Amino acid sequence: MNTGTPGRDTEALYGAFVGSSRALGAEVYRAGDPAAARELIERLVRETGAREVAVASAPLLDALEAEKAVTAAGAVVATGSVRERAVRAGLGITAFELAIAATGTLVQDATALDRRLVSMLPPVHLAVVPLSGLRADLREVMAELAERQMPGYLALVSGPSRTADIERVLTIGVHGPGRLMVVFVDGEGGRVP
Amino acid sequence: MSVKELRRQAREALADKNLAGALGRFGDGYAVSREEIFRGRDFQALREEVGQIKGHAALRMGELADRFQAAAEGLGARVFRAATALDALAYIAGLAREHGVDLIVKSKSMASEEMHLNRYLGEQGLNVAETDLGEWIIQLSGQRPSHMVMPAIHLTREEVAAIFSRETGRTVHPDIPEMVELARRELRRKFLAAGLGVSGANVAVAETGTVVMVTNEGNGRLTTSLPPVHVVIVGLEKLVPRLADVAPILEVLPRSATAQPITSYVTMITGPVGAEGPDGRDYPRKELHIVLLDNGRTRMAADPVFREALRCVRCAACLNVCPVYQQVGALFGDVYTGGIGAVLTAFFTDPQRAGEIQNLCLDCGRCREVCSAGIDLPGLIQELRRRTVAGAGLPRTRKVFFEKVLTDRRLFHTLLRVASRAQKPFVRGGRIRHLPLFFAGLAQGRVLPPIAASPFRDLAASLPRPAVARGRVGFFAGCLIDFVYPGIGAAVQKVCTHLGLETVIPLGQTCCGFPAHHAGVPDVAAHLARQNIAAFGQAGVDTVVTACPTCAEALKVLYPRLLGEDREWGDRALALAGKVVDFASFAWAHRGKLRLEKEPWICAYHDSCHLKRGLGVSEEPRRLLAAAGASIAEAVGGGTCCGFGGSYALDLPEVSRAVLERRLQALTAAGAPVVALDCPGCLLQIAGGLEDSGSPVTVRHTAQIIAERLEPTQTM
Repeated sequence: MNTGTPGRDTEALYGAFVGSSRALGAEVYRAGDPAAARELIERLVRETGAREVAVASAPLLDALEAEKAVTAAGAVVATGSVRERAVRAGLGITAFELAIAATGTLVQDATALDRRLVSMLPPVHLAVVPLSGLRADLREVMAELAERQMPGYLALVSGPSRTADIERVLTIGVHGPGRLMVVFVDGEGGRVP
Repeated sequence: MSVKELRRQAREALADKNLAGALGRFGDGYAVSREEIFRGRDFQALREEVGQIKGHAALRMGELADRFQAAAEGLGARVFRAATALDALAYIAGLAREHGVDLIVKSKSMASEEMHLNRYLGEQGLNVAETDLGEWIIQLSGQRPSHMVMPAIHLTREEVAAIFSRETGRTVHPDIPEMVELARRELRRKFLAAGLGVSGANVAVAETGTVVMVTNEGNGRLTTSLPPVHVVIVGLEKLVPRLADVAPILEVLPRSATAQPITSYVTMITGPVGAEGPDGRDYPRKELHIVLLDNGRTRMAADPVFREALRCVRCAACLNVCPVYQQVGALFGDVYTGGIGAVLTAFFTDPQRAGEIQNLCLDCGRCREVCSAGIDLPGLIQELRRRTVAGAGLPRTRKVFFEKVLTDRRLFHTLLRVASRAQKPFVRGGRIRHLPLFFAGLAQGRVLPPIAASPFRDLAASLPRPAVARGRVGFFAGCLIDFVYPGIGAAVQKVCTHLGLETVIPLGQTCCGFPAHHAGVPDVAAHLARQNIAAFGQAGVDTVVTACPTCAEALKVLYPRLLGEDREWGDRALALAGKVVDFASFAWAHRGKLRLEKEPWICAYHDSCHLKRGLGVSEEPRRLLAAAGASIAEAVGGGTCCGFGGSYALDLPEVSRAVLERRLQALTAAGAPVVALDCPGCLLQIAGGLEDSGSPVTVRHTAQIIAERLEPTQTM
């Protein structure tokens, strides 16, 4: 996905995303450069207390050396088949390409199985997004998607997994993660190679 | 099943206080959060956009299905065109057998409910687990969903705990987070073991072969990601031509359904993707089967009236605001519930059942206001009723009433005069508290006014008229004002006289015909329309005032529709329609000449369905009352029906009474000593209910209030 749209008011979009995403119960963080992002991820991994962390492969995560951040936090990068990694991990880290300011939504080409399982099976999900991927609303994203081949599996994620099926009481973390952390990355590291 | 049987079932449903309590609380909360989530958005424009996308798609459903199939198959998906539910069932069961599947996981799909997929697969010896929390609870309890979006909304946490205890064989406490955690653990095991996943779809895009699915829990993502075989069931009405059509639907659907800006997860699947089997086997491209389900949809698309229902996006907003659904829940429906349920049932699941449950609709019009796709649901239910009556006929007594009595004005009015004498044994202190025979239900929980000793038509000539008239207005009384509440007619005439206008009351006028239209006999309604048009055609007036919004809607909206095709009467119907005005709008328009007493007082105001939604009038009566010194204490649930619905109160008195009860709670909670309203039907219902419960709150028609507060005129 193309994430470079220069000349946009990124700060305003970021501000709007923070508001709408937090309203859904997600945590939103921001790092100014790849080194800061690595430190931030390390801190967040440590804070979750996860012993095993699954990382779904993505150029952005490679560029940030996300796996190094995991081990620096004292956790183990999960190994084995995709299922095994995702089932065992206490935390999953995946990269997203776009973010929608109006609704606090993250957009991911989740055609690769590891992205789907690593973002869904662990109880905590850490999503890394380039700041340049911010868009105003769903219509803008759908128009962008319509211009190219649709990915096999496109995932839109807005906040943690939720249900209100028993007595309409909102409860977080049914089938998917109960905690969603979003890390925006500025600058070079935020550009998908 | 007769209406009598429906009434029995309704009594049973009403006895379940959990149900009405849960649905009522949700309905109240929904109204508020829905308003909030659409604030600052042009809902009307959005639903028009969605209505247009889906409306056009319905016209070319077959072509879109072909294009979708070509696109999806081009990507390696297998598309199965199921003409009937049975075809789809056999295909899915065949797949499961062919792959030797032990366990199937399912995410929410109304189409699968429609074909009773779980029951069928169970009969085939296959093991299916619903994974949406609400659906799983329903499956474990052996019930059926009571709501399209929230299937287990009728169950309390204690009931869910009991169901989970039975399933797990140990004591589960009624603690919601704990029970959700239990569901996560139990269902996670099933997800990891399942060989086949079955999901539904909210949208299917023809140009790309994409299926779109919205979920909050994430079970949809797991169903479509873990098992190595995925079956999507797509009703043909989900098809849209382009990817660009998806965004407007996703904008309106979660907002209307649960007042969310977007669901936690939206998944768009375009062709098969990779999977890892429960045994660790790698599937670079798993099997993706898309079942395009017809099952009555092509027939619906070919129907010039009911085609409109294919625009539905299944947000269930129509259920959430329905005063009857809030009382009886899933009884109002089959697989699909509520107003839209009655219509879909007619084409998809059980036409006979649809003919029965349409009787539950009060025709209050609230669902039309909130429909995500702008469907005229009350209109469709009315057509369903008309066709039901055309096929099966009316019950005999009603047939005689509509066809023999109502169409003969002299006979009808003579009978009313006879009734005014015959009712005497039942009148105590100017009120009726008990009635014999099939009228008994009417007087249950409702104190009725008797038929007046002298109808308004006999009184009018003796009432004051302007000494020198500066104009003439016609007055359409309607049966309730003419024969039950002549005082309202006298009040209207007093206001006209105050304005220096002579009131003309053509004696040839008769019932407006709305009850006949409502009962599904439009021929009788058209007959009455012609009588009234003729009566006013000779009156020589440019304005026809009525103090009954139902009559006003009949004259203004219904007549041109009923007689539009009629060469002789079509233009005359339009001419009359252009002259008709409800009392409040009429008086407000003449406010410059009204001299009203101004000392302050307080009232609540009840909007009549026909005035607020039928004619779009809600501000005029409030301003008029305010001009007469009133401060309006607004009741919660503004615009909710009082439950009268004409003959509805006779057919389903308990439902009518239950709807009334909720309205009374809101109106009395407003804390005003007076409830003002503009409809004699609402007056009969609300005053009757308040009096029965011993409430000191009084109910007055706006015309009565205004007439009382007129300052004396010098023109007399």
